[in-house]
Order: sequence, then C-alpha cells, then structure tokens
Amino acid sequence: MRMALRKIAEWSRSPKKFGRLLMLPLNIVQNFVLIIPFGIMIFLSFTTWHPLAGVEWWQAPISGISSFAKAFSDARFHWALIRTVIFVAGVVPIEFLLGLGITLLFLGEFRGKKIFTSIVLYPMMVPLVVVGLSFFLMFQDYGPVNLILLKMIFGEEKMISWFLDPTLAFLTIMLADIWQWTPLMFLIIYSGLVAVPARLIEAAKVLGASPMQILRRIQLPLIKPILTIALIIRGLEAFKVFDTVFIMTGAGGPGTATETISAYIYKLAILYNNLSYAAAVSLILLLALALVTRVAIRPIVVKPE
Amino acid sequence: MAKLVVKNLRKVFGDFEAVKDVSFEVNERETICLLGPSGCGKTTTLRMIAGLETPTSGHIYIDDVLVNDVPPQKRGIGLVFQDYAVFPHMSVFENLAFGLKVRKTPKQEITAKVDEIARLLGLGDLLYKSVKGLGLSEIQRVAIGRSVILDPKILLLDEPLSNVDAKVRERMRSELKRIQKEIDIATVYVTHDQLEAMTLGDRIAVMKDGLIEQMAKPDEIYASPHTLFVAEFIGSPSMNLFECELIDREGRVVLDAKDFTIDVTDFAETIKDTATSPELVVGIRPEDIPLNIKKVSPKAIRGEVQLIESLGASSIYHLKVGQKSLLARGFLEVKVGNKVWIMFDMDKLHLFDEKTKVAIW
Amino acid sequence: MARMEQIVKLAARYALLIVVLLWTLGPVVWMISLSLKPPTEWYSPNIIPEKPILDNYINLFISTVPIGGTYFMTSIAEAITRPFINSLIIASISTILAVSIGFLAAYGVSRYKAGGTFTIFFTLLTRMIPGATFVAPLMVYYATLRFLDTYQALILLYTAVTLTYAIWILKGFIDEIPPEWEEAALLEGAHPWTIVTQVTIPLIKGGIAASALFIFILNWTEFLFALVISVTQVITLPVQISMYASAVGRMYGSQAALGLIATIPMVIIGYVIQKHLITGFTFGRVR
Repeated sequence: MRMALRKIAEWSRSPKKFGRLLMLPLNIVQNFVLIIPFGIMIFLSFTTWHPLAGVEWWQAPISGISSFAKAFSDARFHWALIRTVIFVAGVVPIEFLLGLGITLLFLGEFRGKKIFTSIVLYPMMVPLVVVGLSFFLMFQDYGPVNLILLKMIFGEEKMISWFLDPTLAFLTIMLADIWQWTPLMFLIIYSGLVAVPARLIEAAKVLGASPMQILRRIQLPLIKPILTIALIIRGLEAFKVFDTVFIMTGAGGPGTATETISAYIYKLAILYNNLSYAAAVSLILLLALALVTRVAIRPIVVKPE
Repeated sequence: MAKLVVKNLRKVFGDFEAVKDVSFEVNERETICLLGPSGCGKTTTLRMIAGLETPTSGHIYIDDVLVNDVPPQKRGIGLVFQDYAVFPHMSVFENLAFGLKVRKTPKQEITAKVDEIARLLGLGDLLYKSVKGLGLSEIQRVAIGRSVILDPKILLLDEPLSNVDAKVRERMRSELKRIQKEIDIATVYVTHDQLEAMTLGDRIAVMKDGLIEQMAKPDEIYASPHTLFVAEFIGSPSMNLFECELIDREGRVVLDAKDFTIDVTDFAETIKDTATSPELVVGIRPEDIPLNIKKVSPKAIRGEVQLIESLGASSIYHLKVGQKSLLARGFLEVKVGNKVWIMFDMDKLHLFDEKTKVAIW
Repeated sequence: MARMEQIVKLAARYALLIVVLLWTLGPVVWMISLSLKPPTEWYSPNIIPEKPILDNYINLFISTVPIGGTYFMTSIAEAITRPFINSLIIASISTILAVSIGFLAAYGVSRYKAGGTFTIFFTLLTRMIPGATFVAPLMVYYATLRFLDTYQALILLYTAVTLTYAIWILKGFIDEIPPEWEEAALLEGAHPWTIVTQVTIPLIKGGIAASALFIFILNWTEFLFALVISVTQVITLPVQISMYASAVGRMYGSQAALGLIATIPMVIIGYVIQKHLITGFTFGRVR
C-alpha cells in the first residue's frame, strides 16, 4: 500500500500530471451524477415509456422523434415557456430599478446606515421555501394583505382570493421573487457604485456636474459591466423558478396560470409519470438555453475575462 | 487687483494644523509655485483655493470676490489632479467637452471650443480615441484641456508630474512650460520638486509646516534664501552648511568653523547687528566654491578629494576639509586623493542665525 | 434657506427608508405574529396577538396530538425532528464533499490551467440548467440504482450541483495568492501536494470557511430535488415545510412557527458570510 502511494506521489510531481490528478474527483462526480443521467435523458427522449407499463426503461420501445414532434405542437409547453419568459422579463427589470432606487437612497452617510443595510439585505437569506410559505400565508383570504394593506389603500376590507385568480396568482409569485432578490440587486449596484474612484467624482464636481449628472454620466457607465453580469445571472436564476410556485400555487395553479416551465416538466415527470416526454421536453429546453447562451450571452460574459 | 488673493488661511484637521497662516497673491498670467516637502500644507492650501476644503479661518478672493462660501464649480477655477482623473470610459473629445456639456452648452459651440483646445494642446488626432490607450503626457494634456476649456480665471495644478518616471518627467515638464505660455492664465502649481518650481514658476512660495518661509522669484530664492530651510531645499546638490562661531581674534573678526576660519572683519558690524548670538551657520553652494590645484591666495583653504561624481560637463567633488565634508562643483583635472584649494567668496556666502534660522547675510 | 432644504431632504430620506423597511420586514413580522397567535386569531387582521401563546412552537416539538388529520403526518414533533436531522446529515456531508472536490478542481484550474475551456463552460452550464430538466432522467437513474429515497442519492446530487459554486468562489481566493510563494516552495523540492496543504490552504482558510457556509445554505434549503427523490425516509426540512403549506389542515400558527425556526439559522449564517459573498460573487467574477 505504502509503495503504491509513494509511486503515485512521485508520478504526480510533474505539473501536468498533478493538475490532472486534481481534476479527477471532479470528473468522477460529474460523470457519475450528471453525465450519465444526461445520457439517459437523451435516450429516453427517443422512446415512449411509462413506468407502469411493466417494462424496464432500457427496454422501452424506441419511438424516434415522436416525442419531439409532440413537443412542437404542445400548447401547454409553449405557454409554460412564454409564462416563464414573461416572469423573467417582469421580475428582473423591476428588481433592477428598485435596487437602483434603494441604492440612491443609501448613498452618502446617515444615522443608522449600517442597521438599515443589514435589515434591507435580510430577504436574501431567507430559505426559498420559507419565502413561499410566508407569502402563501400573507395572501390568504383572511391574511394581512387583504385585511390590512388593502384596507389602508382602499379604505375597506377587500376579500380578494389571490390564489384563485390567474393574473393575481402570477402577481404573487412575482412579488415573492421581487421581495427576495431586490436586495441582491441593491447590493451589487451599491458595491459597484462605491467602487468608482472618488477622484473621478471630485473631478466631475469641480467641472460643474450636479450629483444627478455625475450619476448618469460617470458612475453608471463605469459600472455597466457589473450590472450586465448581475442582470444576466439574475435572469438565468429567475428562469428556473420553482420552489415558490410549488408552495404558493401548488406548482401551477389556478389551472395552469402560474405553470412555469420548471413546474410543467415537474408535473410531467412526477404527476403524469410521462417520463420519456418529460425527457424530450427537457432536452429541447436545454438545447434552446445552450443556443441562447452561445449566441446572446457568451460574447458579453466572456469578454471581460 | 490680483486675480487670486489668499489671506491668512488656516486649516485644522482634528489636532493637526495643516496650514497655519498662509497669505499670497497671484496676478493675471502669473504662475506661482507652492513648493515644499510632503506634509507642508501645499496641497491643502490648493484644495482650499479650489473649494474642496473649507478653511478653518482666512479669506480667499478671486477677482476681488470673496469665495469662501462659493462651491468649487462656481469659483471659476480649473483643477488638474495629481493622477489626472480623466474619465476612462470616455473619448478625448468627451473628456474635453464634459464641463461644457454639463453646462448645457449648444453643440456647435462645444465642437468649436474642443477643436480649439485640441489644436492648442496637440490632441487633434486623438479626439475620438478612448482615453484608455493614451500615454501619460497625452493624458496630462487632456486633463489640462478639460479644465482650461471652461475659461477659468485661475488654473490649479496638484503635483501633476509626481507620478511620472524621471525620464518622462523632463519631457513633460518642457511641455508644461510650453502650454503655460500658450494658455497664459493665473496659475498655482503645487510640487515638491524644486527643479519643477524653478523652471515653471514666475514666483515660488517655499512652504514648511503650514507656513510660507519665503516667496520670491526663482533667482532671488536661489541667490538670497531667507531661511535655513529654503537654503537647504533649493539647489542641487544642496548648499553646504556648517555651524560656526563669530569670534573676535587678534583684532580680526572671524567665523570659526573649527576646521577653517573665514575673516569677516569688514562686515563685522552688519553681522553683529542682526545676529542674536554668536552661533551662526555658514552656507555656500557647491557651484559657488572656486577650486584650484594651486594655492593662489593666502586665504585659500586646503582640501582633499574623496569622491568624484562625474556629470559630463562638470563634476561634483566630495572634499574633505579637516573634519568637514564639502561638496564643490567644478571642472578640474584631479583624481581621488589629490589636494585642492578652495576659497570662500563673501559675495556668495550665506550666513544664518543658528537660533532663528533666518539669513543675516 | 439651504438649511430648510437639508431638513426636508433628510426627512424624505428617512420616510422612504421606513417604507423600504416595512416592505422588507412585513412578511417576517406577520410570521412572528401568526406564530404567537392562538388559532382563534389566525384569521384576524391584528398584528399584535391579543392572547399571545407559545403553543405553536411547543407543539412543534413535544406534541403527539395528531394535527390536520392527514395521512402522512402523525405528529408535528415527529414530523420535524426526522427531517431536521436528515437535512443536517445531507447538507453537511454534501458541503464537505463539494468544498473538498471543488477546492481541488479550483486549484487545478487556477494553477495548472487544467480542464481547459470546456470545464469552465460546463460549470457555467450547470448553473444555467433548470433543475426540473433533470427530474425525469434522475428518477429513472436512481430507481435503477435503487437510490431513491436514500441519503447517498441526495448527497451525491447536491455535491455535483454545488461544485460549480465551490469552484467559482474558491478559484477567486486561490487566484489572490501570488504564485511566487508556491513556486518558491516548489523550487525547494517540495511536492506539489505538500504545497497545497502547507501553503495554500492555510492562506485561504477564511475563503474556504465562507464558501463552505454558503454551500451549506444552498444544500440545506434545496427543494426541488429533495422533493422528487425523497419519499418517506429522507424527507428534508424544506420538503417538510412545503407539506404543511399544501396540507389540508390550515395550521397557520404552527406553519409560521416552523418557518421562522427554519429561517433563523440560515439568516445567522447569511450575516456571517455577508462580506465574503460580495467579494466572491461580483468582483471575483467580473475581474
């Protein structure tokens, strides 16, 4: 045993070999846990298989591209995608603007800044499921949103069933995401802004620029790269939304009003047990995402590297 | 009236008095250099003039108007920072145009003015290039252009050449001198480099510990330093300084520096009148010491060459006279170990009161 | 005149700050309020309970009274101790694995440029992929391996998924160390591995701790895969919480109490690593 170890130790001295040795565990794990299922996914998407059909999956009947064809005419699939895109398009800009707003509020010194900052960052640290739970509880028929908030705005108690109305339910999901992630935007924008060299701001001030002008012409342009990355990352994450949807609207309710693409695939696999179709849909989604990244995002992200 | 008048400026940071009592005037087209070591208060003074610091006490007048409470952008000043602080994400054009854009100047006017300044500073070809790829001297010109384009009443420069390599510094210094002539505005230039000050300043204010020790034309500062500090600070290599005592000896009045004596009987009256005590400091610049291989005068003093720094056109000789070390600049054919003879020329000699540090001769 | 302006501006700022505060803390306050209310008050709008009780909390831990009357919940106490322990085991082991393997990989990429662009691209990809896309094949895969409802399934999965983060963050820290220090040791004949253990690791201890905590949070709060893979044995805390939300009995008080209890450790850890998060994410990446 010792001999073997010593042999390995000597063999791994060369940089190339050592480097490869380092990557080994990663490769093992990735292959075992991710690549194989990926292969299965590809296989499954070409079959039609039901777990209850009594056949083992590798013996499933190959049905070629019928699953893919089905996906192209699957309205529910399309709608799930559209809904998810709408979600992202709605949520990310709002979080950005609110984050920017809060940043402006926090510029400069004032009493209690540290405490306010800690509190504002709080939502980011709440576990997703608890966020879902909180909002679920808040938007109940007899919950505070109906009884307290709306009472303040409209002067009377409005009994809105948030989770029963398609648009409103979608709204609550968006609100939950906004609540949780606006602080992240704030954090990124603020850190970036503060990192702008004070000299530049002084120079601009001496040249006669007002604070607004300094913000618009000097600070924001300088933090554009950071902002871009933040928006992209947040966008990608928002696309995956599932946890809150599951808890608040039971993975898509009412009906399919809040069925995001993750929720749809989940249902396909778990609820309908239509695993091969789920695999097909998943594959299509992955390819689409890979394409989007390659085409649209890679040039933006890889450049600053 | 003078363009800029600074009266009894004082600035305190917590317990630290950065500027104690500074007063001076700058006339139109004149360049004043605030010269001194780090911490002497020159940058703080500049920032107070700019309006980036508020004086603890004192007054600042620009064009006869009291500007103590006026914000920087309304004072009519142009400021060039030590690290230039040009906007990295903009082109040369946009940098130059910034001040004008911010004041909502019409586009045609902006283009006209930028073209003018660019031509003046030799930036014409670079106008649409991003600032990021430019060399230091070009960036310096952008920084200056950006301030000057606003027709400031006064131009303020904060050590613009300190971050620059020695070799490049020479070239940029000449460029600054040329630009100075072209632009011709009242200027306050802060630096710790006496060569810069001597070359660029019409008048120099030598500062130390928050006070101006002497303010005069470069020639005067060089030839007649008022205080020991100024004498030491100006001149490269520095002035030779020795302690000595004014004694009456055998009917003559001499300065006794232990290793040599200098007869000052003819001037004894003046010296005794102004000195507070017989403890004095003698100063003589290396370039003011006549050197000879032979003893040409009975007053000549002997010294031995310890080290020779050859500078090409002349050399600096490190001499040992008795126990003392002396630097002399000249051009002799000597080697290390040779003996030379030096003289002290009363015209070029400086005498300082040991206690008050003030020049008395 | 300017004075007046200043005061108005300050007042406006604080007013807005308070609005932000209310928005941020609103949900929390309501949860706290609910958790302290007796069942009779669960449907009323008052924030401060008229008759505050701690039963909601106590019930979570010691009650053996069946609540809700649904099929898969016998008692809440039983119901959360097991998931809690499950979460703890799974999250801890996954974190340790992820950080260890991630560190090795990060070191390889940083110092030896191992893996090439594909690795980087691949790791970026793993962040992008919605978890749901893997649900179908994973079910099949794990079923075949008889991994369903087992610890190892989730542990392996979590490790694989959080490896990306581990590598990203740790690489940032490793990059900060001047390579000269390690090269010097190399020149003295030290084995590359010794350098790693003696030089690199001690230097970025803080970074390792920060990333470990961060990944721990990710693992602890993971939901989708836990939901899919666990059936009865390895139900994790998040899954358990979700079951309350969809359960028939509307035990608002206890739900709120549970939610709060689940949140507090995460928030604490979150605050601890706050500083490291910023540097690791934004600047490390953009640079």
